[in-house]
Amino acid sequence: MECFIFEAAEKCLGIEIEYIYRIADDIQVTPVPLAPPCYRGVIYFRGDLFDVVDVGSLMGGERSLLNGNPYIILLKWGQRKLGLISDKIIGITWIENNNGSRTVFTKEGRTVELITPEEIYKILSKLAYGP
Amino acid sequence: MDLEKYKKIFVQESSKYLDELDIILIKAENDLPNQQLWGEIHGKIHSIKGMAKALNMEKIAGLCHSMEDWCKQFQGGDIKPSGDAVQLLIDGADLLKVLVAGKDDVRSPQNLKEWDRITARLANSPDELVKHVTPEVRLVSSPSKIDRIRVDYSLIEELLARSQEIMLLEKRLPPLSQDQISTGLRIWIDNYMSMLKGLHFQLARLRLMPVNDFVYLFEKTIRDLAKKYNRDVGLEVVGGELEVDIGLLDRLREPFMHLLRNSIAHGIEPPDERVKGGKNQEGKIVLEADKRGDSLILKVSDDGRGIDRTAITKYLKNKIPMSDEEISRMPDDEFFNAILSVDFSSTHGTTQLAGRGIGMDVIARAIGYLNGSMTIHSEPSKGTQFTIRLPLSLSIIYAIVFKLGEYTLSIPTSNVASIERTEAISSEQSGAFYDLGDRLGIDAQTRKPTRILKLRQPPGINGATAGETPVRFAVDAIIGNMPLMVMPLGELLARAGSFAGVGIMENGDISILLDMDKL
Repeated sequence: MECFIFEAAEKCLGIEIEYIYRIADDIQVTPVPLAPPCYRGVIYFRGDLFDVVDVGSLMGGERSLLNGNPYIILLKWGQRKLGLISDKIIGITWIENNNGSRTVFTKEGRTVELITPEEIYKILSKLAYGP
Repeated sequence: MDLEKYKKIFVQESSKYLDELDIILIKAENDLPNQQLWGEIHGKIHSIKGMAKALNMEKIAGLCHSMEDWCKQFQGGDIKPSGDAVQLLIDGADLLKVLVAGKDDVRSPQNLKEWDRITARLANSPDELVKHVTPEVRLVSSPSKIDRIRVDYSLIEELLARSQEIMLLEKRLPPLSQDQISTGLRIWIDNYMSMLKGLHFQLARLRLMPVNDFVYLFEKTIRDLAKKYNRDVGLEVVGGELEVDIGLLDRLREPFMHLLRNSIAHGIEPPDERVKGGKNQEGKIVLEADKRGDSLILKVSDDGRGIDRTAITKYLKNKIPMSDEEISRMPDDEFFNAILSVDFSSTHGTTQLAGRGIGMDVIARAIGYLNGSMTIHSEPSKGTQFTIRLPLSLSIIYAIVFKLGEYTLSIPTSNVASIERTEAISSEQSGAFYDLGDRLGIDAQTRKPTRILKLRQPPGINGATAGETPVRFAVDAIIGNMPLMVMPLGELLARAGSFAGVGIMENGDISILLDMDKL
């Protein structure tokens, strides 16, 4: 399968390419009060609103330093939309049949942890929003 | 009620149905035994009849009724349609166009003659038609003026997206010195951007749909349900001209389907029962749309038998459990809200007794997902009313946009009485202000209040009510009083319970619209 690879929380993470809607750049993230620290805000892109989350911070790592407007990985699946801020974008890589394993290896020898948008969303849903 | 406004909507809608009717009649002419086509023809005529009846347009309703009678017989296969029968229905549809354009007025002696001819023939059985047929000289009707087009919703989304992307180009404009850019060119770029932003905003308005159009989606459903449950049901729409985001209305399709089904199946009594009870034979469902502040209010009411209180009492006693005294002390809205509980709906027998079908919890969930709320009012033998309150999503509202700490926030302009300048707020003064920053968890160190917003109506903040001192709160800076395209919150932000939506400004920037009722 084709995977979109990026770095966050000192890990290499991969998301199946079918969930990637667009990589947005030069879009300012609007912060929202009462949200957990990993929730960086919202963006309006091509008629849709995306919740934007800092994957590093979500995974328990350091909060990404937003220098200027970072690249945002936009995901769309079902009715849901999510934007991810990563530490570094690696790119698209073909991964051989992973036989259901969550840890895979790229041809370049990189160890990648596969994650689905729904898993990210579930973690986000468990966090506290509000006063 | 502004009758003229509804008549205008009727003309628009009926003309659309009549254009579609022409096409299906022509198809039927080439496929006479196709009962599905006759069903479609019947449906279109029935929709026009329903609207005409609601507006007391007797001629149109009468002609539709006669045409419907024939269609029913063809649809049911009782009588085989003939080419002449189709021709008569086409003539009837042409006459309907004249009547619709004239708002039930026949307009000319020649049309009156045509009216007499068509209604006389339709009064007989289609079998009789062949005996009456005489060659006629017919005018060939010209296609009506094209004054509207149907556009795929996704195309509107695409256009919106494109215009936004062009706007974003401004942000990528390289910094140019005075030597590199003339004043004239700068003015030209500014004008260009200003027009582009206006265009983007106008495009955004294409996403809005009148409530009337939404209601007409259910015409056929109501007809089919009424037939299935042997009910005589009429639909009335109030405030149908109100324009609401298509996305929101689309999410309301399912809940409305449940509400209508329940009203027809369990609320409205069979015609004989209604007559015995001193009611009109025809039950009435009224859908009322209204805009209050930053909320959309949709009321669905019927004049049926009402919700049976004993079933709810039984549920509260057995399932919660509550005592008779506790139940008697419950406010009505709280009492009726019991039918929205998951286990109430699953108790099929109880629900049927209550006069509401299963699925009330599904409706409550769907409304909750849209960050809305629902209240129920019901009176025995008088009927039931469901009032749904939803944040006005994707509508255009005017709002005061302001900065507080690092956040860009907004509240509807209608809530604001005045904006005052302030140098600094002393600790003695601070008690007189509502601490919005603190309520929103905004670090006091990041705030530099320069303006005070005084609210027109204190909607529940700190328990303040009308008549008490108006609520005032400090903000760092006012960005402006401007139109915002308000979009619904996602699931995550909705959980904060403090926001009404996300407002998009004309330049594409975002502000978070506060829900003043919840703060």
